[in-house]
Order: sequence, then C-alpha cells, then structure tokens
Amino acid sequence: MVTSQEQWQDMMCLPAEQLYQEEIAALKKADKGKIPVGWQMSPQSVLTFITGGKVGKTVITPKYIGNKRLVEMAIATLVTDRALLLIGEPGTAKSWLSENLTAAIYGHSGLVVQGTAGTSEEHVRYSWNYAMLLANGPTPEALVQSPVMRAMEAGGIARFEEISRCASEVQDALISILSEKTISVPELGREVSARKGFSIIATANTRDRGVNEMSAALKRRFNILILPTPSDMDTEVEIVKKRVREIASSYDLQAAVPADEALIKVVTIFRELRSGMTLDKKEKLKSPAGVISTAEAISLLTNSMALAASFGNGEITDEDLAAGLQGAIVKDDVKDKLVWKEYLDNVMKKRGAEWRGLYTACKEMNE
Amino acid sequence: MNSVATAAVHIFGVRHLSPGGSLHLLELLQELQPTAVLIEGPSDANSEIQHLTNRHSTPPVAILAFTEDIPVRTVLWPFAAYSPEFQAMKWAAENGAHAAFIDLPSSVTVTMQQLRLEAKENVEEEETEDGKPSGSDSFDDSSIYSRIATIAGEHDYDMYWERNYELNPSKGVYREAIIAFSTQMRELTEEDERQHQRVEYAYNAVREAYMRRQIQDTIAAGHEPNRIVVVCGAYHAAALAQDSYVMTDQEWTHLPSRKTKLTLMPYSYYKLSSMSGYGAGNHAPHYYEMMWERMQTNTLEELPYYYLSSIARWMRETGNHRSTAEVIEAVRLAEALAALHGGSAPTLRDLRDAAQTLLGRGDLSVIAEALARVDVGTAIGSLAEGVSQTPIQDDLNRMLKQLKLEKYKTTVATDLSLDLRENRRVTSEESTFLDLNRSTLLHRLAWLGISFAKLRPSGQEHATWAEYWVIQWSPEVEIQVVESTLLGETIEVASAYVLQQKLDSCSTIAEASWLIRTACDCRMLEQMETARQTLQRLAADSRDVIQIAAAAKELSMIIGYGGLRRMDTARLLPLLEQLFMRACLFLLDAAQCNDEAATDMMSAMNELNRISLEHSEQVDESLWLQELLHLSERDDRNPRLSGFACAILMERHAITAQQCAEEVSRRLSPGIPADLGAGWFEGLSQRNRYALLSRQSLWEQLNAYIVSLSDDEFARALVFLRRAFSSFAPREKTMIAELLGELWGVHADQAAEILTGELKEDEVKMIDELNDFDFEDF
Repeated sequence: MVTSQEQWQDMMCLPAEQLYQEEIAALKKADKGKIPVGWQMSPQSVLTFITGGKVGKTVITPKYIGNKRLVEMAIATLVTDRALLLIGEPGTAKSWLSENLTAAIYGHSGLVVQGTAGTSEEHVRYSWNYAMLLANGPTPEALVQSPVMRAMEAGGIARFEEISRCASEVQDALISILSEKTISVPELGREVSARKGFSIIATANTRDRGVNEMSAALKRRFNILILPTPSDMDTEVEIVKKRVREIASSYDLQAAVPADEALIKVVTIFRELRSGMTLDKKEKLKSPAGVISTAEAISLLTNSMALAASFGNGEITDEDLAAGLQGAIVKDDVKDKLVWKEYLDNVMKKRGAEWRGLYTACKEMNE
Repeated sequence: MNSVATAAVHIFGVRHLSPGGSLHLLELLQELQPTAVLIEGPSDANSEIQHLTNRHSTPPVAILAFTEDIPVRTVLWPFAAYSPEFQAMKWAAENGAHAAFIDLPSSVTVTMQQLRLEAKENVEEEETEDGKPSGSDSFDDSSIYSRIATIAGEHDYDMYWERNYELNPSKGVYREAIIAFSTQMRELTEEDERQHQRVEYAYNAVREAYMRRQIQDTIAAGHEPNRIVVVCGAYHAAALAQDSYVMTDQEWTHLPSRKTKLTLMPYSYYKLSSMSGYGAGNHAPHYYEMMWERMQTNTLEELPYYYLSSIARWMRETGNHRSTAEVIEAVRLAEALAALHGGSAPTLRDLRDAAQTLLGRGDLSVIAEALARVDVGTAIGSLAEGVSQTPIQDDLNRMLKQLKLEKYKTTVATDLSLDLRENRRVTSEESTFLDLNRSTLLHRLAWLGISFAKLRPSGQEHATWAEYWVIQWSPEVEIQVVESTLLGETIEVASAYVLQQKLDSCSTIAEASWLIRTACDCRMLEQMETARQTLQRLAADSRDVIQIAAAAKELSMIIGYGGLRRMDTARLLPLLEQLFMRACLFLLDAAQCNDEAATDMMSAMNELNRISLEHSEQVDESLWLQELLHLSERDDRNPRLSGFACAILMERHAITAQQCAEEVSRRLSPGIPADLGAGWFEGLSQRNRYALLSRQSLWEQLNAYIVSLSDDEFARALVFLRRAFSSFAPREKTMIAELLGELWGVHADQAAEILTGELKEDEVKMIDELNDFDFEDF
C-alpha cells in the first residue's frame, strides 16, 4: 500500500489541495467564521488562503497577488450559489485562481472539464460504458458521470476550463444545469439534483472572443469577473519571482534562482512591449502580434534556468535570457522580428551599461 | 467665562455631506429641543440662512464669498439636501430655534486660504530644493486615511466611513464614534502639524478659538448651555468639546482680512462630485440623496434594490436589456460582499462591483454611463428670484459700465453697430478701442452661451472692421450668467475655461481652426496658442487637402485681420506655411477623385491659390506652382481638376501662351474620349474667362475637337459642355457667340440669336433625353 504522500511524489504538478495541504489544515483548525453548507472553511478563511496572511504560526503564502477585491468578489459569488466565470487575457492566472478557490472551498480541485473544440455534451452531462450498456441495458453501473454531475452529487465545485473553446451546443447544455441545478437521466428514470455547495467555476480567454461567443442566456447564469494583467511593475515582479521559485523547487532545477536584476529586466521588456510604450510613457513602441503574458515571463525564466542548469554552470547568463526572449516575443511572424529589432535598437540600446550584455546577446540572437 | 458652562454644550461632529450625520443629528435635535443651533460656516453669512431655508430654495445650493476687487478670490460652502448643516438650519427654522454660523467670517477665510496656498507652495519648493520626498518624516493625510482603511480591512477610506458611520443605524453611536475618532486623529497628527505644517496648524487653531468665542457669546446672550447644539466638522469636534483657548477682541482685530461679498448660488451635483477638499466623500451625491430618502422613510435596507434597479432601468432605456433576475443576483452579490466585511448593508463600492459583475457582465465600460447617472446625478439646485449675486454677475456689470453698454440692459431688442478700427478722434486709450473692447465682450458672452447679444451677419462680406449686434436682456440671460459662475469667476476666466475644454476634446482640423478663430474673436492669447498647437498636432496626421485648405483659409483670415483685433498673429505664420506645404504635397494624391469631390477640391484649390498670392512671402509659392503644373500635365487625375490647374497657371502666367496652346490641342485632340476632353475644358473654364475669351486659337481647337466627335461621343461631351457654359453670364455667352460667329463665318448677331435664343420643342426633347444619359462607367 502506498501512502498518499508517496503517491503524489513523482507527479509533475501537484493539485493545489496537496501542494498547500498544511495551510488548508491550519486554516480549517483556526476557523471561527460561519461555514456555508458544503464548504470546508469560512469565506474569510478562503480569502486568507488566496491572498495570504498568517494563521497561528502557519504562514499562508499569497496565491493570487495584486487584486484582493477581485478575489473577494469571486468568493462572494460562490457564497450566493452562483456560477463564476473568469475571463482574461492568456496568462492572467484564471485557471490558477479557479483551482485554488476550488481547493480551499471544496478540498478537491480535480473535477475538471477541459473545454476543446472536441468537447461533446456527454462530457458535460453523462455518458455510458457501452460494454455494460450492451450487456445489461441501462443500469446505474453503466452510467459514466461527468465531472459536473459528480460535483452535483457531492455538493462540490466543478471546473470548466476554456469554456469558449467548446461548440455552442455544448455550452448550451450548461444553461439548464445552472438554472435547474439538476441533470435528468431519462434512461434510468432518475434525476441527479445538486446538493448545497454545488457550483461551477469556468474560465474563458479574451483572445478567443468570437470563436464560440457565449450566448447571452449562458452569460446571464454566470457572475463574470475580468482578470486584469498585473497593474504595476512591482506586482508583476513579485508574481514572477514567487512562481519561478515555486516551479524551480518542484522541478528540482539545479540552477540558481534568477537575480532580481534579470527578473526586472524581463518584466520591464514584457510590460513595455505589452503596453506599447516605455515605462516612463515618453516613447511609443510597436507591440508584437502575439500575447506576451506574465505566465510567459515565468516560463521564460524557468526555461533559462533549465538551460543554465543543463548546459551551463547553473548561473543564468544573458545568452540564456536572450534565447528565451527571442522565443517568447518573436512568434512565427516576420513582423515580430522587426518589432523586436526596433525595440532593441531604439530602447534597449540606450539603456546604458547594465543592459549592454543583454542587448548584445539579443541582437546576435535576432540576426 | 465659565468653563463648566461651555462643557455642557452639545457638540455634534459630522462629515459635511453625510446622510447618516443628518439622520442622527435630527434625532438629537428632536430629543434635546435646543434653543440655539450653531453651525460651522461663515459667521457673516447669517442673513443667508433664511434664504437657504426658504421653501423656494432647492438644494444643492452654495454660499459663495468673493472679493470685490481684483484679483477675484472665492470660497464656497456647498449644501446638499442631506448635509447635516442644511438639515440643522431647516430644523431650527421649523422649530423657532436660533440658528447661526460660527466659523470665521468669509473676509478672513478668503485671506487665510490664500496664505495656506502660498505656504503649501513654499513647502513644495523647499522640498524640491532639498531633494527630499514629501511625507518622509511627516504624516501625510492620505496615508493616515488609507492606513485606517487597511486596519479595518477595507479597500479605501470611503468604504470604511460608509460602512462604519453612514450605514450604522445604532442611535448615538455616530456622535460618540466621531468624537473618539476626532480625538485619536488629532493626537496622531497635531504634534506633527505643529512642527511641519505650521500654517495649517495655526489656521485650525484660529478657527477653533473663534468658534469657541462664538459659542461663549451665544451662552452670554442667554441660551442655556445644555440647550445649545454645535454642528461642526468631525476634525473640530474634539477641540470644541474641550475647554481651551478663546479668542479675544484684540486678537480678532489682528486677523488679516479682505472685503468680500456673499451670495447664494445654485449648485450642481456634478460640481459637488468633482470638487475636492471640502467634505470629501461626496463623489456620489445622487447615491447619497437616495440614501437620505430611504433613511427618512426608515427603509434604508431597500437602498441596494433601488440603486441596482436604477442602473438596470437606465441601461434598458439606452438599449441594453437587463433582466430583473440579474438585478436580484446583483443584490445578493452585494450583500455577500458586505457580509465578507461583517457589515450590515452593502456600501457603494459593493454595489458598484456587483453591478459591474452582473449588469455589466464583468465589463465596467458597459455600465459606466449608468453609474455616472446614478452615482452623481444631474440635479441642479434653484433659488428664489433675486437672491443670487455672483462674482461673474458683478464682473459683467462692471464691464458693461466700463464699456458704456449699461443702457442696452433692457428687455427691448436694440441694434448696436461697432467699428473695430482705432478711433483717432478721441484722446483716451480707453475710448480709442471702445468698440473693439465691446466686440470682445460680446463675443465672449456669445461663446459662453449667454444669449445677451447676437451677431447679425453683415451684408458686406469684406468689411471686417464692422460688426452688427442685436442686444436684448432677459431673465434667461440672468440665469445663464449665474450658471457661468461654475466655469469661472469672471467672464474672461470662464470663456477661457470653456475654450480650453473644447480644445482638449477637439479632434478635427476644421474644429481646431474654428477654435483659433474663436480665440481671436474673444481675444484670448493663451488659448490661441494652445489652439495653434492643437491644430498643428492634428494637421500633422491629416492628408485631407480639402480640410487642410479650409483650415489654412481660416488662418489666413485671422492673420489678415488679426491686427484689427490687436492680436499678435505672428506665431500663426509658420503654421500657415506648414499647412500650405502639406496641402501642396498631397494635392496630386487628392486630385484622384470623382466628380463630386472635385467640386470641393476646386474651391480648396481656389483658397490655396489665394493664400499663395496673399502670403507670398511666407508660403512656398514655387512649390504650389510646381504641383499645379504636375497636376495639369497628368492624364490620370480628375480631368476637371487638371483643367482647373491649367487655368490657374494660365492666369498666373506660369505657362506661356505657346505651352497653353499645346496643352489645349493635346487635351482636345480627336480620339480623346469625350468625358476627358470636355471635362478638362469644364475645369479650364472655371476661372478667368476673359483670358479664355481673348484666345481665338482656343476656340478654334475646341471647335475642331467637337467636330471630330462621333454622334455618340458628342452626346457625352454635351453633358460636360453644357455644365461648363451654364455658369457663364449672358454677356460672356454673347462674347462666345461672337467668337464662334467669326469662326463659322456667320454674322455675330445671327450666331448669338441661335446660341442664346429659346430652345425649340424638339431641341428641348433632345436635351431631356440627355438627362437619362447613361454614364456607363464614369
């Protein structure tokens, strides 16, 4: 028999409730607030879990940095039994927030429907184990429940990722689920009704808008929150620093965590290119066609760490960063290459000695 | 004075625009039934109290104090229906209690405000000199407030205040909480203020000493101390409750002061929400009014329903349907948000966030307008007639007197003609330019939307020195003038403010050049410069020759006649040059257009040509001629414009007779499609007809060309030729007839008879058929 600890040990990515097991336990122990039915802790504790704080001697790490009010609104939505829809640019921590909310409220963030163009109504409602169906006819044993149905039965929270990628008929299946809070299984002559605590957290990407535009009827059944890109430099640096450190330890990268200086450079470049102007707002820039999100800054830095660990001496060099930047900014578009070149020569070159090394490396890489 | 007596006085600290404060204050007044209600406000404005509580007055209104002489300084004390001060006055009037203002009189406040302003500027200067950022070792007000909010777990101080004070229904809690709050706040900041912001500290100390003196005087006048209620700002509550220093008569005489006038004026919620400083927290006056209404009917718990339904209703009216179900969910979300903070009722921020999530579907921009409507509102107060006397009214009267226009202030419409030129027959400077100054004032009034004088278009287009005005005074004019007070203290300041606002939102070249013109008419130098920059910025991005030419025309007019208005227009010259250059450079591009646009282009070219002649020293004349030459030679542009360019060149002798003849024969050679040839001729004939009429060879060529056309093509050409000749005067037509007569060898009179005589029936029919002419692909 393997213990649960061992079972999780070689997983690539731990679910939030495992990753922050101790914090959740501490919060539950110290909880004094009123706990809504179906929740495992009070709304205030959920807020502390997401935005950080201290419970007794346990330090709760902040999971979502920057906009506390948004987290409050997300929690208040779930308190009122409403479904929550998180919309945002790619890389604005939609899924991350949804996973952590689910982990804190329900304690199990694994009930997920991954929305793709191939998602069918069965993934949202139920399907059958056809061998059993053919052998015994429709029986409860032959029924394969969707994550949404399981969440309803258990009074938990189901997550629906990338909802706008699904075809509109699949989205429509959610409408009656969200308003009736039941799924009927006519073959068995029964209905599955949601227990208290059931809710859905869906995420959608603003860049996908228009692919499968959500119907007004469905939108009306969600409380919609738009997650912004980090509002200022310091917040973004903090987010990047925290995530890079976490990822580095979970992947056991044998490289030094990047110095603040490198981090600030990367975030500066990203922010400037994203907003289309220099940080001092004096110069207008061209933005590349692709999205350059905070999430990409994080993966760029961890990539560079991997490069440094595997092929270098464990210290991130300007060349490592340059390779990452080139990949992140110039995405299969010739125009992006020009944008990047223009940025290098017009902005970065004039930034002085501290940037010189990175500039030369990027310049060579972009040739 | 007896300190025990002072201690018995009831002090009620409030926020200046606070429905909660009003509610609890009224409760207290009802309970105590005081004989005197003393209010923080200018003590020289006591006579205004009766006007404020008059049943014809509707808040929001404001007490306005302004200095009589220049520079005009003003101080405002606005009141909304839910202002505790206003409610206290009303209560006193209804219950026969004595009501009085006890703060420093406005004459002192005006001067002290000025001192405070100067002190602040000095501090800032010192800080920049030291290179030390402010607030490093001194308390910053905002940081204290945001720290209080953070400790209470709120996002900002307004949320903290609303949840803990406005929406706190418990009796008596408001007053005690404010005294405690005020005491602690002062402990925290007083020492620091004494050291670092001495002027600020002194200002408060003087005010409080004065207010204590007023309270004592009231006691001396025979009011029982425990039947006196003092309504003051939260900050002063603790200080007035303490027994402390009282101002003496001698000190009073030493206070700096400037003579002021006081008046009431109608105020607006918009103004209330955009003003900072006095009684912060009035950013949503209409919301607070809703709150106050609910409080009066004891249904405060219904406020979220009203607020969110109002937003949904407003959205429906503007075409965004939102269901009642969504409003219900929004209320639930707002209540859940309030519950997260342990509050009893949702605050404005909770309501707004809920509205954004549910009614805006996550998007703020969708509900922004509805929010502005419901939060701020559009209410404008009103006053009984004749109560108001504002500085801008004073300014206008002063100007009317100075410009000898007082006699026109009647309800009978009177004509006034002005001669803007310098009057050389008079001696004094003032009367030399009397009419010009009059014109400036009238233009400014018109610009402010004050319908006192209307400019009558003059018959003579070029007599720019003459202006004809129709002047009429009416009650509406009076109201318009009072309302303009919100824009500035004098006519000049107000017009400049409006112009500046227009400039900030200006987005087209035409508008910008019109604004330059206005600035010139109203003689506003500073705004003229800003307008110039705006036009320059907009023109840099434009390639529209017609618009650029129109702007250049405006500019050239202003430059030409600006001297008349004694405006320095030298700075406009480089801009004119720049505009002219751009127009020239894009001329060729713009000439590739259809016939409809060509008409506008022709007048643009006309203007440009005029400018090139009039301002030949400034603008690049040779570039203009060169571009015209290009246009005239090109075959792939609009033929009318090419012809027109050729006409201008001919007129300006930029091409020789030889070149011209060549061009005509090239354009009108057999084989050229009729629409091109005749179109070109139409363009050519739009200018200087005498030059055309005097060239025999031209008509020969035209004749030869027409003869060479086939019947079908002749019908096409006829359309253009008919249009071209339609604008010729009868005398010109006769001259053409003579020319053609000579050409055809017939008698001139005979030719004229045929050409200018009435059409025969079958000819009419043939021409009618032309109306149905199929233009095919051009």
